[in-house]
Amino acid sequence: MTPASRAVTLNGRPTSLDEVPETERLLDSIRWRFGLKGTKEGCRSGDCGACTVLVDGVSTLSCLTLTHEVEGSSLTTIEGISDDPVGKAVQVAFERAGALQCGYCTPGFVVALTGLLRERGRAAPVEELLNDLGGNLCRCTGYASIARAVSLLQKEAP
Amino acid sequence: MPPFTLIAPSSVEAAVAELKVGAPGEVAVLAGGTDLLFDLDGAKSTARRVVSLRRLPWRTADWNGPVLTVGSTLPLRALEKDPEVARCLPGLFQAVRAVGSVQLRHRATLGGNLGRAAPASDLIPVLLTLDAEVDLVGPGGSRSLPVDRFVLGSRTTALTPGELIRSVRFPEARPSSYLWQRVRPANDISQIAVAAAYSPSEATWRLAVGGIPPRALRLPEAEAMLRSSRPSEEEVRRAAEAAPRPLAIASDRRASEEYRRHLVGTLLERAVRAVASLSKEER
Repeated sequence: MTPASRAVTLNGRPTSLDEVPETERLLDSIRWRFGLKGTKEGCRSGDCGACTVLVDGVSTLSCLTLTHEVEGSSLTTIEGISDDPVGKAVQVAFERAGALQCGYCTPGFVVALTGLLRERGRAAPVEELLNDLGGNLCRCTGYASIARAVSLLQKEAP
Repeated sequence: MPPFTLIAPSSVEAAVAELKVGAPGEVAVLAGGTDLLFDLDGAKSTARRVVSLRRLPWRTADWNGPVLTVGSTLPLRALEKDPEVARCLPGLFQAVRAVGSVQLRHRATLGGNLGRAAPASDLIPVLLTLDAEVDLVGPGGSRSLPVDRFVLGSRTTALTPGELIRSVRFPEARPSSYLWQRVRPANDISQIAVAAAYSPSEATWRLAVGGIPPRALRLPEAEAMLRSSRPSEEEVRRAAEAAPRPLAIASDRRASEEYRRHLVGTLLERAVRAVASLSKEER
């Protein structure tokens, strides 16, 4: 193992993992070691999606991932999502649709939906996108406004 | 989390060697980690060394004619996105989609699901109906086992110390279906799940049920009642009625025994009809 590989790119910035214990979860590294508190801890067992981040562009549960398992990867958290045009569009759609109340689940939804749209393209059917957001739980909105945000994105799709 | 050492060998030989170090209960194999991390965090884990498979060249899916070989560390999401999987092995596609969420399937693997052998596995019932073969590599070389001889019980497999799952092979394309019932569809394990498949080469059915501990089971008596790729209404009904009879089913907080027995029959009837209609389309 070369020392250079014990690093990630975090929201575009090279970040060393040398100080990260082998037992540490990516969620804890992001929140407590790197100080990015936008990524939320919900259930810590893979059910709620609040901790979703992008690993090489792909949505991932940071609570079920050991940090050293993603060595060499490029990570995007909610703090970096607006650097991506798709992520920016998702944020704007959530804002326009009022797709949040307490906001705790919102970073997970925005990151997960950004990942999905990058995988599927913005013209993907709304029904399928909503189904594929099944791994994100929201306890206040009743999901209607979140579904509206997804519809808005599709209407605007080029 | 209790302390452990994380090791990520870059060759199969090195990985096998790492598994042989120390007592068998002190080493855990890490593929996607979506199931293992629960254990590592809890008191029940005795693992002190975790061997990660992330550097092994097993993130593959290869079609050789009708035979699909899936590398054990390929994320499940890749199977779901392969249109040939949905077309040739629709039951496998449906079962993969039933595992967790998109985020979880970006890391969870077929090898991990088999190796962890959870009683609620969504994949094992379908693997039984597709006659999947599990390819193993270990200190004594390579061997293969049919999945029903690999999964032995709840969290129990035929893996010997030092052995790893290298790949899973699906011998032929089969019309197939996987159906489940859950309290919450998006994020729970199934109260009952059923898998059905028709083998064109053998002209026989495979039926299996999951969600009943300790492990998923084939249903040979019900299978024998289905006599063609398009069984009669009467045959389907009789097979569905017979299916739950030999099963030892318990009640728990997710469902009563009575409801589970009802689900086995109802879901099997639907699954068999779905498979029969696929067979019809192929004519």
